[in-house]
Amino acid sequence: MNRINTLLLWIALPLLLSITGCVKDVNPSDAITTANLTTTSDGLINAVNGAYALLKDHVEFAGSTDENNMYLRQYFQCADFASDDIVCGQTTTDPLFYSFSLGHTATQTNMRYFWYISYKIINDVNTVIEAVEKLSNPDAASRQLLGECYFLRALTHFSLVKFYAMPYTTAPSGAGIILRTSSTDPALKARSSVQEVYQSVIGDAEKGAALMNAPRGAMYASKEAAWALLSRAFLYEDNKDSTIYYSSQVINSGRFTLSTAASYPSLFANAAAAPETIFCVAFTTTEDYGKFGSIASMIYSNGNSGWGEEYASQSLRDTMSAHPEDVRWSYIVPNTVGGVVQKKNGIEMYYISKFSGQGGSPTLSSPILFRLAEMYLNRAEAEAKAGQTGPALSDVDMIRTNRGLAGSLYNGQTPSGQTALDVVLKERRIELAFEGHRSFDVYRNKLSMNRTYWGYHLPGLKESDIDLSVQPSGYANMIISPDNPKIIYYIPIDEIETNSLCTQNN
Amino acid sequence: MKFTRLTAFPAWEPSHKLLFIMRITALFLLFVSLHVSLWAFSQTSISLSVKKQPLAAVLTLIERKSDYRFLYQETSVFSRKEISLKVQNASLDYVLSLILEGTGLGYTINDNHLVVIGEKETAVALPADWITGVVKNERGEPLSNVSVLIKGTARGTQTDERGRFRIQAAENDSLEFSYIGFETQSVKARSSLDIILRSASQQINDVVVVGYSDKKKSELTSAVTVVTAEKLKDVTTNDIGSMLQGKVAGLQVVNSSGAPGAAAEIRLRGISSVNASQSPLIVVDGIIGGNYDPNDVETVTVLKDAGATAMYGSQANAGVIIITTKKAAAGKTRFEAKITTGFRTPDFGKMKMMSGSQLYEHQKEYYRDYIPANTDNSYKIDLLQFIAERPRTLRSQNYNWLTDMFRHAPMTNFYFTASGRTDKNDYYLGLTYYNEKGSFLNTDYQRINLRANSTHHFSPLISLSNNINMSGTTGKSYDYNDVYYAYLNMPWDNPYDSAGKPVYVDGNSTFKWWSRDKVNPIHTIANSNHPYKNFDVNYDLDFNAGITSWLSFSSTNRLAAAYFKSSTYYSPLAAGQYNGTGYLSELSTLNYGYISNDLLKFNFQLGEHRISGLAGIAFEGSHTELTGASGKGLPVGLQVLNVVSNSQVVSGSNDAAMMQSYISQLNYSFRDRYFLTGSYRVDGSSAFPSAHRYASFPSISAAWLASKESFLADNRTISNLKLRLSYGVTGSQDIGSSRYLGLYSLSSQYNSLVAAVPSQLASPNLTWESKYQWNAGVDIGLFRRIDLTVDVYNNVTRNLLLQVSQPLSVGFEQRWENTGQIVNNGVEFGLSTANIVTRDFTWKTDFNISFNTNKLRQFPATNINTQSTWSISQIYREKGNLYEFYMPKWLGVDRQTGAPLWEEITKDAQGGIVYRQATSNYDSATYQEVGSPLPKYQGGITNTFRYKGLTLSVNAYFLYGNKIFSNSLRFVENDGSEPYYNQAVLPKGYNIWTKPGDVATEPSPQNAANSTQTSSRYLKDGSFLSIRNVALFYELPPAFLKRLGVSGVTIGVAADNVYTFTKFFGQDPQATITPGVYVMPGVSDFKYPNNRQYLFNIDFRF
Repeated sequence: MNRINTLLLWIALPLLLSITGCVKDVNPSDAITTANLTTTSDGLINAVNGAYALLKDHVEFAGSTDENNMYLRQYFQCADFASDDIVCGQTTTDPLFYSFSLGHTATQTNMRYFWYISYKIINDVNTVIEAVEKLSNPDAASRQLLGECYFLRALTHFSLVKFYAMPYTTAPSGAGIILRTSSTDPALKARSSVQEVYQSVIGDAEKGAALMNAPRGAMYASKEAAWALLSRAFLYEDNKDSTIYYSSQVINSGRFTLSTAASYPSLFANAAAAPETIFCVAFTTTEDYGKFGSIASMIYSNGNSGWGEEYASQSLRDTMSAHPEDVRWSYIVPNTVGGVVQKKNGIEMYYISKFSGQGGSPTLSSPILFRLAEMYLNRAEAEAKAGQTGPALSDVDMIRTNRGLAGSLYNGQTPSGQTALDVVLKERRIELAFEGHRSFDVYRNKLSMNRTYWGYHLPGLKESDIDLSVQPSGYANMIISPDNPKIIYYIPIDEIETNSLCTQNN
Repeated sequence: MKFTRLTAFPAWEPSHKLLFIMRITALFLLFVSLHVSLWAFSQTSISLSVKKQPLAAVLTLIERKSDYRFLYQETSVFSRKEISLKVQNASLDYVLSLILEGTGLGYTINDNHLVVIGEKETAVALPADWITGVVKNERGEPLSNVSVLIKGTARGTQTDERGRFRIQAAENDSLEFSYIGFETQSVKARSSLDIILRSASQQINDVVVVGYSDKKKSELTSAVTVVTAEKLKDVTTNDIGSMLQGKVAGLQVVNSSGAPGAAAEIRLRGISSVNASQSPLIVVDGIIGGNYDPNDVETVTVLKDAGATAMYGSQANAGVIIITTKKAAAGKTRFEAKITTGFRTPDFGKMKMMSGSQLYEHQKEYYRDYIPANTDNSYKIDLLQFIAERPRTLRSQNYNWLTDMFRHAPMTNFYFTASGRTDKNDYYLGLTYYNEKGSFLNTDYQRINLRANSTHHFSPLISLSNNINMSGTTGKSYDYNDVYYAYLNMPWDNPYDSAGKPVYVDGNSTFKWWSRDKVNPIHTIANSNHPYKNFDVNYDLDFNAGITSWLSFSSTNRLAAAYFKSSTYYSPLAAGQYNGTGYLSELSTLNYGYISNDLLKFNFQLGEHRISGLAGIAFEGSHTELTGASGKGLPVGLQVLNVVSNSQVVSGSNDAAMMQSYISQLNYSFRDRYFLTGSYRVDGSSAFPSAHRYASFPSISAAWLASKESFLADNRTISNLKLRLSYGVTGSQDIGSSRYLGLYSLSSQYNSLVAAVPSQLASPNLTWESKYQWNAGVDIGLFRRIDLTVDVYNNVTRNLLLQVSQPLSVGFEQRWENTGQIVNNGVEFGLSTANIVTRDFTWKTDFNISFNTNKLRQFPATNINTQSTWSISQIYREKGNLYEFYMPKWLGVDRQTGAPLWEEITKDAQGGIVYRQATSNYDSATYQEVGSPLPKYQGGITNTFRYKGLTLSVNAYFLYGNKIFSNSLRFVENDGSEPYYNQAVLPKGYNIWTKPGDVATEPSPQNAANSTQTSSRYLKDGSFLSIRNVALFYELPPAFLKRLGVSGVTIGVAADNVYTFTKFFGQDPQATITPGVYVMPGVSDFKYPNNRQYLFNIDFRF
């Protein structure tokens, strides 16, 4: 037995030693190294797709993958919940509430996440830009991808500067956001001025427009999308000529037509295929995030599909009340029982349906970021400001014609007591309601936001205090002036704590 | 012949009876013995009377009084040992046996009357003599059929029915008493012996399984705590962790969830890492990892310092818990069957939710006439409006959601075992069936476990073991939201319709529904399901072969596979987002792996030197494969993926990890008093890039068993004294694979095409985190009744594997780096006392307490970790504490306005505090450090009382000085900000501000903006003392059982989680301390509550 045993040992030991050289590299099964990604054309397409995907994915953040965290959800909520178009029907512990109450903090997760994902998109496109620019003679497809990357970088920087910096028109030399135009930037970097950010945005969008000549559909950036972005950026800069130029470029491109009064009510449920859509973010049925994650959830419910706690405000409804025939009412859906509008905690429930209806789902849409109507309105505003009342009103009429108001056109006549700009801004408010424009439109025009209506943005409001027959009075935050520091959000605490060069907002 | 012995410093005080027998023996020696030389000595008898004389002096005296001469080397014994003796006409043999007793010395007598005194081996054996005695168990009951053997011979006998035995033995012989199920005992032959055999579970005290080898307890050089099955049997659970709560010094056990089958969180000696796993390494039967059933556990050995844990190198940073499963004991085949049954009830802790009438009264506060900016406030409750909006009938609408959703739930545990041993084969079979219904609706847990251990001995030196453990689990989990609504839905809403069925409610329901969200969780539960299943197999193959007398080869190997599947199902009938479509999601995980340890072990004895050790290799590998699918559009009644008709989503990924190790250890001992152990391990892990893959983990430890030194050998006070010192290094690599690569994740899509998203920053130099550990300890045994163990330690974790926060503007949250240190210093006391030990009654106490401090050091930058959902922050900074909460400090309520107050600190440019003031503006409140969830000290106490066959044990666990963020209060103490949530009854000392001048704890509901925002308002003292368990057992009398043909029956009743004493306001101060998804250490959110448990059990042995 002992001999067998010894024999076994002598066989076993070398065998074992030979097995043990077994510690190998373990590569992840569902990821690829950054170095490998950028060396293949497939990888580059995937990376560009990734930049779009980040607009709609729930990316893990602060230790969890929270369904509340989606770039576009924050993009729309943090813009419009801070405006006078949407009223809060219920206080909530969700940080979206601070957009109503102006109780912003640097720790509120929605805007921490928005900041984070913005820069992840930028990091992604920077990597692609650097890889493609190394190619000696890129083909049209590669140039298109490169252009899309410039567009996405411009769009993301632009959105950041809107949310985290005071309007260009207020303080062009004020602190903007951190510009990231290279993946090898030092981690610590100071905020550029608002003006510098706009320069970068415009520069990138112009580069992108020049490169994109192989359009891939409305779900992807295109030359016209870049022009549309330029039109908006110049409008925000109050650069009238350039606004008019780029708006016209899009309008005259022939690629888009306005939805008609008949087709407008189905525009948002069919964004990707609609002729008016310049650029939308594609959501498929697998990205129907339902009650806990969709954009629609907070503002619409079929009873089960969402929380449905925020509604079209009385202020907006009053603005539209003169024209019940306006097809834009189709996106304001009162929750009625027996013809009576229901109330939540004393607030009338007028659901908003611009983010619903794709494939019949109450919680699915492919949100539109640029559409043709905005180009007419951008141009109209610039024209109005430049004193070109006629063209401005004619652009407004172009919209009204297609919204069921063909019988109520201005026909070059400014109503008494109103300026052309008043007319344009009112039309803009109604047309682009809930699409993330209103707050910026008010403040960049140095106007005050008037939220003198019942809603839980009023601090300390109790249901028993609500009397819909009169206007509220005595509450804080009813009128928000354009110099109120709370019209923008705090730089996330994560950035402030780790980037010593980055200053905080007031 | 008459003699009187006064004292001779005996090891034990003989009884009078024994003295008498000794006298008889002496006579016998004199007159019956036929030994020639002895016969010769008897010619000279000795008479002597001395008092407190040194041994050497007594010998001189004998020399003077006889013709004997003594030859000896004078050691300290000769001058130190004092003799008091009075004999007349005694033989030299007798006299010498008395005066040399306890010295370890023996003697030989030469023909010329020269007596040589020296070490015992040289002593001559005295002639055989009849020795009689009785063998009993610890309860004083006689044991029959006990084998009595003269050591080193084949001669022996057995005890009779009354435990008596009679055997012929020489006085220097050792008698060995052995009986199945009892500890074998060796006793030096004395004329009469009363032997008490201790039951076998304590036998293991003598041999401790450490590292890759076994050691005698006396040889241990490191801090090790052994918990035997005996001490684990009081608590009934499926998790060994919660059984250990309060029983091991330095071990923190948190039962953070009462969900069926939930496992406790275990932390040893504080927390020494930030991002690597902090659960101790579990080693089952000598092999890392593995599955087992608590019923099959023989002992749990907790290795605390690097002297022991360094043998496990890179996986041992959080300590090591070694599980040894039961094996067959020698002798006849044994069977045991144990049945435990009882029920559980939820423990809602101190958070009492309001009844309908309480809430009604509470809500009146929301109707005070008070608008903060106004000057004409009356502060009166507007009762008219209140009653208009809150009809009086609500007072009697008292639907208790908690008691409707939580109920008494039965639990049952069956355990059956068979074991036996023959010359060639050992076998052990353990079968367990555990069934726990959840106290929350539609939750449960069932497990069946089979363990078969068998060993075949080819020869005394060669053996092969096959151990297999198979377990299958099924259970039903729950949805967080359903627990959330159980607390928050209002008592004014009736969950049931008139037919007693859960009522359907959704956003379109037109009947009055008071609760904030139109959700009936009882209806949801009735139409949803969260089942899971788990199947797990471990197969161990152990081969042991002696090569030479000093060298052996040992190979221990395991193959393991586990399959886990969980599902989430919502019927189309459920209200909510899946209404009309239904939803089914299934996720499967397959794990498989291998591990092999191949060691050469050696063991030499060279005189008083003993050297043992081992050297070898180990390698392990594991693979994980995940597959998931989900979809909607299910027909009512079916819940299988084949019938989903839309929104199909699939997922899947694989992972692997490999490790390779070189292991060595050297143990040296001298005279069984001085012990030295050194070990050296080299590990390579696939978690790191190839250039940084290997690391070495050395350790050295030493012990001095002072009580074996001659100056303490016979000390009556100090029965055991050992000093220990150890130093060593362990590591950590448990962060998942590929953390060093810069990655794009391909698991996303855009417009149905593959999308790659930047997911990880590269960290090409990533390597091991290492923990440098010092430990000094002392084990003291006093009066054989008191055992005290004290350990102090200093543990420094260097090169922390840290997810270092990046500015978010680089597009990444963090990057894996090796940076920073954590220092844990602590002291632990373990005290076991036998307070009262009599034949019928014993009272024993086990007490432990441990103190730990935790500091962060050399942190490159301050890291603030802000949890996603509630923005609760913790700060990691130089010289700070781990998990330190960082938030505005709550200063109560403004007396004049009723507004919440926080502290605002103004600092100068140098960071010095200029002044502090109260502010009602949350945004200007200053973030500050307000405490950590890690306790300052914690411990446990177990008292065991035994009277005859009756045993009562009471076990308590306590923890002090930790802060817990009671997040549920954000909802249930919300100052009316969300009026349609039920509220918690305010504890004593809490009151609501109602008018200017009030000193209140709760802000005015009219002026409470931001009051529920994260602040120290909800940060509570988490200290508690919990009566963990009370158990009463009765061992049926053997005489009675004999008629039944069984050898033992124990019946018992037990209560677990009896009561918790705490000031904590919230659900439960036992909040999780493991960072995770949605989870921050020390944050207590709505959770599945822990349960009280009342159990009856019966245990048959035959």
